[in-house]
Amino acid sequence: MTRVPPPAEPRHSRTAPPARFAVTMLGGVVCAASLLMGEGWAEPSRFLPWKDPAAPHLALDDLGGRAHTLADYRGSVVLLNFWATWCEPCRAEMVSMRALQQRLAGRPFVILLVNYGEARTRVSEFAKRESLELPILLDPNQDAPRAWRVRVLPSSFLLGPDGHVRYGVIGEIDWVSAEAVRIVQELLR
Amino acid sequence: MNRRTFLRAAAALPAVAAASQVTGLALPARAQQKEFTPRPGAWRTFEITTRVEVLEPTGVIRAWLPVPSVKSDYQKPLDDQWSGNAKVMKTATDGPYGAGMLYAEFASGESAPVVELTSRFQTLDRALDWSKKVAAPEDPETLKLWTKPTDLMPTDGIVHETALEVTKGSATDVEKVRAVYDWILANTYRDPKVRGCGVGDIKAMLETRNFGGKCGDINALFVGLVRSVGVPARDIYGIRLAPSAFGYKALGAGSANISKAQHCRAEVFLKDYGWAAMDPADVTKVAREETSEWLKVEHPLVEAVRPKLFGGWEGNWVAFNTAHDVALPNATQGGKLGFFMYPQSETATGRRDSLDPDTFKYTITTREIKV
Repeated sequence: MTRVPPPAEPRHSRTAPPARFAVTMLGGVVCAASLLMGEGWAEPSRFLPWKDPAAPHLALDDLGGRAHTLADYRGSVVLLNFWATWCEPCRAEMVSMRALQQRLAGRPFVILLVNYGEARTRVSEFAKRESLELPILLDPNQDAPRAWRVRVLPSSFLLGPDGHVRYGVIGEIDWVSAEAVRIVQELLR
Repeated sequence: MNRRTFLRAAAALPAVAAASQVTGLALPARAQQKEFTPRPGAWRTFEITTRVEVLEPTGVIRAWLPVPSVKSDYQKPLDDQWSGNAKVMKTATDGPYGAGMLYAEFASGESAPVVELTSRFQTLDRALDWSKKVAAPEDPETLKLWTKPTDLMPTDGIVHETALEVTKGSATDVEKVRAVYDWILANTYRDPKVRGCGVGDIKAMLETRNFGGKCGDINALFVGLVRSVGVPARDIYGIRLAPSAFGYKALGAGSANISKAQHCRAEVFLKDYGWAAMDPADVTKVAREETSEWLKVEHPLVEAVRPKLFGGWEGNWVAFNTAHDVALPNATQGGKLGFFMYPQSETATGRRDSLDPDTFKYTITTREIKV
């Protein structure tokens, strides 16, 4: 998990600091934060069951210009990940995403990486440099994070084979952790 | 050790490492003794030139370039001139806030769209004289605008709750603003890795307690908290023009190329003083970036600017506008902008990344005009 130093000096905060994990605010704030963990939790799941299963609209082109919609992936479990090349936790998370995909090779499981508003050339350079073979969708107008109400990077969603959103994940996680693998495999059943 | 304890311990580790770097004790004495005393004196005249060359053009190309459109007792716009091969080039404004811009529209098929805007203006240092109360009339309707929420700056919920807690015991508007200013400096910090000037999603900042950011985050949080307790406040989006006359490298432009020197400041309206300059984000910038070490807010270099940026700032910066939720006129791609501080453009394939001047592409240069 990528971490950067919190404020160097005790900040005289009037409330106790929360538990932290790596996220990037959409403007690019790389930091550790707690969004949904209340005081007193012990082993919270990072997978948030989604209340509204209807998936927001998503229609984007990939780096090669091919159009993608979520309907294209009906019948598969989809890991939809919002990221940017400048987001350190996003880059760190991709290692375990790739490992998860390898582990589930041959199963109806798809990872779609939705880039946050960067230029095609910038994203292409990154994909080439990182030998990234996962489908990367470009979103120059940043319509998708608006529709999906994404406010920090990385943010991910797991969709079932029926196209319904089952879980949301805020921040970087280990996608080959026992919990992540279990949840994805349950969706694959 | 449960997970929570572990996470706290893990998060604390870099804090220990960082804390060892914040003393500044190794700095030469001279570096710790800078004065920062902006005060209104002679007007300075500057020119900035924004050149947009949209790369890989497809379809109809549109571009929007911010124009210094704030007229005040600290800034006088002089003139704007433009050239290029667009079929339409004209000035425009956004509706509610009057943010000025040059709008350019290129014919489909234009293979090398170029537009260049040169703006001249004058700027002045600001320094509020707290010993002199003045009659500060302002249209009540105008003031009402500056207490309203925006898309990224709500004034209810966690913002209001935080502001009430921060300003507890504060009676006057000055006391409230002072309490928020101090809270901002105690809780937020400059994060150099933030892209551009940040987004300014203050609700997300408070919910995540992620208080690292840049001016677009930190000053927006300041403004939002102040607004939520009924004190008119506004962000002012602009760009740095020149080095600081007081030797603070963090508080000025380092070169004539200012393509990435955007900076936003803030103002609050105080009943006995009128519009007062505020820039807590620049205090955090001095703490984080003035030296190679992360300085405490009590360090002399930071202490020198902290009180001055409460009621003042240096005129080596120009204000573009004070707009939020900006709908770019004639835009066919993308949604509203949280604020309008960077050149914008769109092609048939979508809006360009305004925080990436090299792929966009644009350059902004500046020079001071000495009379």
